[in-house]
Parts: sequence; structure tokens; C-alpha cells
Amino acid sequence: MNPFWSNIFRSSGYEDSLAYFLGTIPIFDALKKKDLRLLESMVHVRNYQPDETVFHEGDIGSGMYCIRSGQVLIYLLDENGREIEQALLGPGDFFGEVALTAQKPRIATARTLETTVLIGLFRADILEAVNKYPATTSKILLGLTRCISDRLQYASLKLQHQGKSSYHTEKDQ
Amino acid sequence: MPDHSGFSRAQLLLLYLVLTTSIASGIAIFSSATTITDMLKTATSGLFLPILLSLIVTFLLDPAVQFLERERISRTTSIFIIYFLLLCGCAFLLILIGPPDWKGMFFALKADFPRYLSRANEYLNNLLVGLEGHFPFIANYNIPEKISTSAQQFLGLILKETPKSAMRIGSLFLLVPLFSFFFLRDSKRIARNLIALTPNRYFEMVLDLYDHVSWQLAHFIRGRILEALIIGTVVYLGLSLTDIRYAPILAIIAGITNLLPYVGPLIGMVPGIIIALVDLGVGGQFWWIVCVYLLIAQIILDNFILIPILISRVSNLHPLWVILAIVMGGKLYGVIGMIIGVPIASSIKIAILEIRQYRRTFYRSQRAIIPRSD
Repeated sequence: MNPFWSNIFRSSGYEDSLAYFLGTIPIFDALKKKDLRLLESMVHVRNYQPDETVFHEGDIGSGMYCIRSGQVLIYLLDENGREIEQALLGPGDFFGEVALTAQKPRIATARTLETTVLIGLFRADILEAVNKYPATTSKILLGLTRCISDRLQYASLKLQHQGKSSYHTEKDQ
Repeated sequence: MPDHSGFSRAQLLLLYLVLTTSIASGIAIFSSATTITDMLKTATSGLFLPILLSLIVTFLLDPAVQFLERERISRTTSIFIIYFLLLCGCAFLLILIGPPDWKGMFFALKADFPRYLSRANEYLNNLLVGLEGHFPFIANYNIPEKISTSAQQFLGLILKETPKSAMRIGSLFLLVPLFSFFFLRDSKRIARNLIALTPNRYFEMVLDLYDHVSWQLAHFIRGRILEALIIGTVVYLGLSLTDIRYAPILAIIAGITNLLPYVGPLIGMVPGIIIALVDLGVGGQFWWIVCVYLLIAQIILDNFILIPILISRVSNLHPLWVILAIVMGGKLYGVIGMIIGVPIASSIKIAILEIRQYRRTFYRSQRAIIPRSD
């Protein structure tokens, strides 16, 4: 088709919008288009240079970040100041979601590896939205809870498995 | 032809031109800087009060707008609905009570004021004569003379300024709704844009701080205004039980002065007491009025009911700071400065407290992390 006409008939670039991007993140996949528009007005878009620290281990956390573009390294520091890599995250991944619900210190450090655009969702905005748009906010919080409980289940299964295997090895000895 | 420094002649000429123009414009800007600041000062001088009042109106109306917004009404529409309801309420009150006779009241007060003043002076004289028996040196100070001249000056000031302030109040009726409409609609966006300017490293902290400080400030201002309204209403009800004149004006004075901590209620009491003393004399009604001002409005209502409910959630200032804020505010902006000095001081205190608490948790958390890592 003539590009001139295709431009007119194409739906107005929803796939490029922030709302569409947010809808692809597992926490927010229960949200409808209207809810995503609201969420879009709640989040903050932050631009990072390569090698910039997003947060430090021990900082007071107040929110989560989704990666729109770029790469983020999550790591811990050992006694000698060496970095122990925990995860390497790319576009569509999210991190720091535990701090969204409670004012807790961060348990790892996050640093960008290249020019990165992060979408931040913070507790102050969630608390405000709880009063204004209860239905949408409860969907967001439910998604968050599901995500965290998935991880908790995975972790406890892993612990259980390890406990069993160590029990067996002790028994065998 | 290029010379030793590597510049061509044209480049040197350009450099010379740029330097001279920049120096010339620098001198011009420096010499006109004082006129520019003067112009800025005159341009913004009348805006202080309307902006302040519309900020207060914004703080007061924001919960109502949010309440409507929850019903999926857009923010602009809900602001219009609130404005419409307010207008209807005012019209309803006017129809119900009838328009207050401000003009008549003003002229009556103008006629009565000197009378009240001279009678108050008389009482004071009698008091002083009694005192002079005990402390003879008081006679040297000629206190009644001083008080009466300053009171005359004050009266003259009021008479001169009233038409001017009527103009100003008229413009306030136009400006305040307009400003507060935009504050209500766009304050969130303005704040977000301002916060977005902070560097990435401090962004979370600034966002949290802004959230806490604005919450505390909103509650403080809302609490104070509600307190003043309730005190004014109670004083009005209490006074209208007696035969005292000017009950509405006295109630308004009591409400407004109640915004000033410690000194305010006492100042607000003075005109009511004087009028009661002159018109009604010392009797049952006079003591009832004193009772209304002191016991009912201040001690029972304000101290035991309103302050614990409305203000106690917000951190309170030490009395010394309150008095300092009142004095400094009065130096800067007169009576209005005295009233707003206290909220400004408390918001500074809230900000400092929040930052300190943030840092404390910050360090504590860091200390908590260290043993875990080894």
C-alpha cells in the first residue's frame, strides 16, 4: 500500500505507547487498556547514563523499576568489594518490587550497563491512587502480590528440596 | 594571513567583537539590574495575597474534588461541580439570612469607634489612678495620652485604607477562584514536573519527602482553617445570645486572630470586651461574653476538642519558635506575615524532621546490612 495511506489507516501507534509496554509486564497483565492509561499517568520515566547506579544496597527503597530499554546489572558486594552478579536484566524485566509495599532497605545494588530508560512506580503514587482509583490500584497490587507469592513459593520449594536432599545425604552417611 | 597564535585575522576580529559586545551588555545589564528588580517587585507586589489565599482555597477544596474524582468524573469537571455547589451554597445562605448590612454596620462602627475608644481610655485612666497610689512613678510615663494618640492614628489609617482595601477585595473575588482553579487542576502535574528535575540518585528520596511534607502541610492548613471557622461560629453563637452589637464582625475577628497561636485569641478578645464594657457595663452579660471568649471558645473547644482532633497529628512547633515566626513574619509582611509565619515555620520544621528521619533510617539500614554481608 502507498505509505501515505497506510499512515492514515494505522491505529495510532498504540504498540509504541508506554501503556502498551506496561501491559506486557507480568505484574500489570490483568489491567485493561483504560487501567493502563491510568497507570501511565502514575509512573515516572527516568533516563540513565551507562554505568549509573539506580540504587545501592542498604538504600531506603520506595518503589520498583521496569526496564523499557537498555540493560541493568543486579549485584552484591562481598567483603573484598568484588561484585557478585545476581542477575542481568533486559527490556521488559522489572526489579525492586519488594520495596513498593514496605519501606525496607534494598538488598542488592542495581547499575545500568548502557544508556537505559527505566519506568519507576513508587509507593507515594500508589498510596495516592488507592484513594482515587481503588479498582485499578487493587488490580495492580494483586498482580504484585501474585508475582511475589510466586517467588516465595519457588523459594520455599527450593528450600524444601534442599532440606530433603541434605536430610537424605545425612541419612545415607 | 595567520599569525603565531593560529587565529586568522577574521577570527581575531570576531573574537574582539564578541568580547566587546559581551562586556558592553554586561555593563548595561548590571546598571539596569536595579530597575529590573524594582519592576519585578512592583509587578508582583499585588500578587502575594491572592496567590496565598488561592493556595489555601486549593488545600481546602482538594479533598472534595478528590471525592468526586473517585466517581470517575474528570478532574476539571469535578472542580466545576464543586465551584457550582459552593456558589449555590452562598446564594442559599444569602437568601436564607438576607444580605448582611455591611455598609450600615461599617458606618455605625465608624461613628461608634471613637466613643468606644474614649470610654476604654476612661476605664484605663481610672485603673491608672488606682495604680498610681501604689507606684507613683507611673505618672511620669503619661500612658493614656500615648494610647489615645496611637489609637487615633490607627482609626485614621482604617478610614483611609478602607476604600482601597474594598477595591482589593473586589479583585480578590475575581483572582482567587481563577488561581485556585488552575492550582486545583494542575498542581499535581506542576509538582511532578518539578520532581522530575531531580537527579536519578536522589529521585526516590525527594519523591518520598515531597509526599510526606505535602501531606503534613495540607493537614496542618486544613486543620487551622477549620479550627478558625468553628471558633468564629461558636463565638458568633455565644455573642448573639446577648445584646452586644457587631456580633458578626467580632466573630470574624475572633476567628481570624485565632490563626495566631498564643497571642491571637487574646488580641481577638480585646474589641469584644471593650464593646461589651462600654455598651453593656459590667454585669451578667459582660461576664457571659468573657466566658464565651475565654472558657467556651478557647479552653473547652480549642484546647480540649479541636487541637487534639485537628492539629495533633501534625508535629507542633516549640512556643519559642512560634513567637519568633510571628515576630519575623510581622516584620516582613505585617499582619498577614504574622498569620502565615507559623505555617511556613512548621513546614520548614516538617521538612527538616523528615530529612533527619530519612537519614537515620538510611544509616540504620546500612548498619543492619553490614553484619549480614559478612
